Amino acid sequence: MSSANPTKGAKLQSSGPTRMQAFGSAFVSGGYTMYPVLLALVVLGAIVAPRFATSTNLINILEQVSVLGLTTIGLTFVVLIGRLDLSLEGVVGFAPMFAAVCLVPAAAGGFGIELPSWLGLFIALGVAGLIGVFNGFMVVRVGLNPFISTLGLLVLLRGGVLIVSNGRSIYSPGPALTYLGSAKLFGLPVSVLVFGLVALIVGLVFKYHRYGRALYAIGGNEDAARAAGINVDRVIWSAFVFAALLAGLAGVLMTGRLDSAVTTQGQGIIFSAFAAAVIGGVSLGGGRGTMVGLVSGVLLIGVINNLLTLAQVPSFYVQASTGAVIIIAAVLTTIASRRSSGVKTRT
Amino acid sequence: MENKRPIVEMRNISKTFGSTRALKGVDFTVMHGEVHALLGRNGAGKSTLVSTMSGLVASDTGTIRIADTEVVANGQPYAAKIRDDIAHVQQTPQLFNLLTVAENLFLENPSVQKRFGLVSHNRMRTQARALLEKWNMDIRAEALAGELGAGTRQLLEIMKALSRGVPVIILDEPTAALSNAEKHLLFEQVKALKALGISFIYISHHLDEVFEVADTVTILRDGLVVKEREAVGNLNVELIADLMMGEKTARSVRSDHTRYDAPALLRAIGVGIYPVAELGVDFQVQPGEIVALAGPVGGGKEALAMMLAGQLTPYKGKITGADGSLPTIGLVPTDRHASGYVGMLGVRENVAIGGLDLLSGRLGFINREKEASHVGHLATQTNVIASSLEQAVSQLSGGNQQKVVFARALCHNPQVVVALSPTRGVDVGAKEQLYALLRDLASKGLGVVVVSDEEDEIAQLANRVVIVFEGKLVAELRGDYTMKDLILRMEGVI
Ligand SMILES: Nc1ncnc2c1ncn2[C@@H]1O[C@H](COP(=O)(O)OP(=O)(O)OP(=O)(O)O)[C@@H](O)[C@H]1O
Ligand SMILES: [Mg+2]
Repeated sequence: MSSANPTKGAKLQSSGPTRMQAFGSAFVSGGYTMYPVLLALVVLGAIVAPRFATSTNLINILEQVSVLGLTTIGLTFVVLIGRLDLSLEGVVGFAPMFAAVCLVPAAAGGFGIELPSWLGLFIALGVAGLIGVFNGFMVVRVGLNPFISTLGLLVLLRGGVLIVSNGRSIYSPGPALTYLGSAKLFGLPVSVLVFGLVALIVGLVFKYHRYGRALYAIGGNEDAARAAGINVDRVIWSAFVFAALLAGLAGVLMTGRLDSAVTTQGQGIIFSAFAAAVIGGVSLGGGRGTMVGLVSGVLLIGVINNLLTLAQVPSFYVQASTGAVIIIAAVLTTIASRRSSGVKTRT
Repeated sequence: MENKRPIVEMRNISKTFGSTRALKGVDFTVMHGEVHALLGRNGAGKSTLVSTMSGLVASDTGTIRIADTEVVANGQPYAAKIRDDIAHVQQTPQLFNLLTVAENLFLENPSVQKRFGLVSHNRMRTQARALLEKWNMDIRAEALAGELGAGTRQLLEIMKALSRGVPVIILDEPTAALSNAEKHLLFEQVKALKALGISFIYISHHLDEVFEVADTVTILRDGLVVKEREAVGNLNVELIADLMMGEKTARSVRSDHTRYDAPALLRAIGVGIYPVAELGVDFQVQPGEIVALAGPVGGGKEALAMMLAGQLTPYKGKITGADGSLPTIGLVPTDRHASGYVGMLGVRENVAIGGLDLLSGRLGFINREKEASHVGHLATQTNVIASSLEQAVSQLSGGNQQKVVFARALCHNPQVVVALSPTRGVDVGAKEQLYALLRDLASKGLGVVVVSDEEDEIAQLANRVVIVFEGKLVAELRGDYTMKDLILRMEGVI
């Protein structure tokens, strides 16, 4: 008569189907659901498009998804606690643009303050962090619904990009801002390394750090987390800050890759980020989701986009097919998680 | 009349959840106009059995007949077939917080439906008012359910079931959140309906209630029937407890470890429990002391406890610890479903969130070994029964969920435990184990504040009882008080 002590009934059960079930639910809850699909797509791609399975192309895919990946990781911070942050899309565009106009001379479209170039990265992340602080303030202190407050901020930031840049893109904003998105290290783009490193660290934090535990607890039952002594307000606030910082970093990578801060930068990325998160098994209701799954969602979107382009699907169709694939993938994840968790919750 | 034929007949019911066999071929029969108590320890399968009866959970095998409806179960849902024959008040609250009292009461009730599926709000409100009046309840029909207290919500749920006009009603631990007054209200209604031939299945861990309302008793243990349809008259509390637990349970008595000479662990100085109270209250907890806060619902005992636990800010005055800094506090909140556990997380994670900083090393990463051993130890101490420490708490039986909440409160090695209705839904054996645990902790110098409505619980635990009424501390019992003193004091203010 103690914990973790299966009742007699449990022992009587033959272990065959049970072990399979246990494996199935561990597979799904660990976030591995989409990997077989991903693998199938890669094999399919290698067969139909000879150019697909080259290392250049695969690295190219990774480089393309790193921006989306960082944004999705950021988004997951707030989604895990049962909130959302639409303004991340605005941050991807605004943070690097603001940094760029601080750096370049007035003639190139800057403010004319021409701050030293090494400050670029710090300005971009600083701006992003401040936006996160603002979002946290609105949600925690003012008590706004994050959908509305971050939607408003998204629109505001889009306008803000046009205001600070006078509606013109800014070219060559300086090495500090573009290094991460353009340089290569050990034959790999630095942006891919950044994405990998962030995914690794944040993944460990989600799984093994007390901060991660607090995120899941708050997403699962906020009042219970409070009663357990977790400083819920502080965690919520900081989740918004982390989200914005990661979106800012994503923006910097994008600017680096293009060697310019473009006025339309990041537009539409929040939809892909939500899609990647959901495909990866992150529950929009909060409390559920893993880094392993999230990364599979990001990769899946990247591979599909790449395949459609390689297969020379007319670009109008690319977008529509991506949407269709997102729906299919989401259905798959949902079915898998329902299957694995079996019966509904009860008394 | 057809009263000879049972109204409910269930044969060979079994249910397996993953690796747990919750029911292993159970027969269950209910007669017309009978109150049938279904008893058993935590996790015995009571809630599962009644859920297969109402179709909330589909039985894997067997047959179910309610009134004239027969179902052959094979794991497929059948709730729709029998929903007009049975009402089920579940252990977990099922009210819609954002709907009004009237809407909650008459949701789906044919008596307020008009043509084209429209709902008559007028009829709904008048009927709701009549019903509230019948139950002597002083709340508005337009109030939102989410704003009400736990007891009132529970009553609403019961009223809703009782007013549906069905012949069989399941009450799964209906009194867990009720005060004594509310309890008696419920019993009156149950008896009145029983006289009309309505049958009840009644689940409770308060055995005294069984003798008050039930006619027949069936006892489950580990998914099997160990006593079928025994008349209440042939049983007594000890016998039932032994049958439930499968072993002897001895009732323990309180012991006093209060260290009067030591500085108080936790102190309330001039604390205003209500916004309007002109005089604040003073209260303190000594090391080793178990204090009970008692008194009527809404009298302020829960508010005071939540202030002591640091979850509510006092309207005035302050809460301090021995040397000016607050002690670490472990909290068992009143409503485990609302603020006790995180359903989708496992037992291990639920217990661990009570002491994350204690379990994590430098850099804040959780020390997995320490976590496993600490949580495992607490789960054993509180007698949590689960298929593994990874099982989601939403899948545990009600009493085991409560034990998880209890374990979580102890996870931080607190200096003071504030426990509101700590053994709600816990079976008689596990209750004794939790009491022993609290006494043991007290003997090591921990301070305990218990908020409870149960005289037995208080008498078994508390070295000091403080009655809170209208935001004031109106009476106090110390040391060798008798049960009679206690009951007099507790009822004296109502
Ligand atoms: N959805 C589920 N998934 C897995 N196991 C479950 C589920 N529901 C119940 N169980 C298991 O079935 C067993 C019986 O649970 P049940 O809720 O019927 O107990 P109970 O007799 O009502 O106990 P209590 O007095 O604590 O409410 C328990 O071991 C429980 O863990
Ligand atoms: Mg139960």
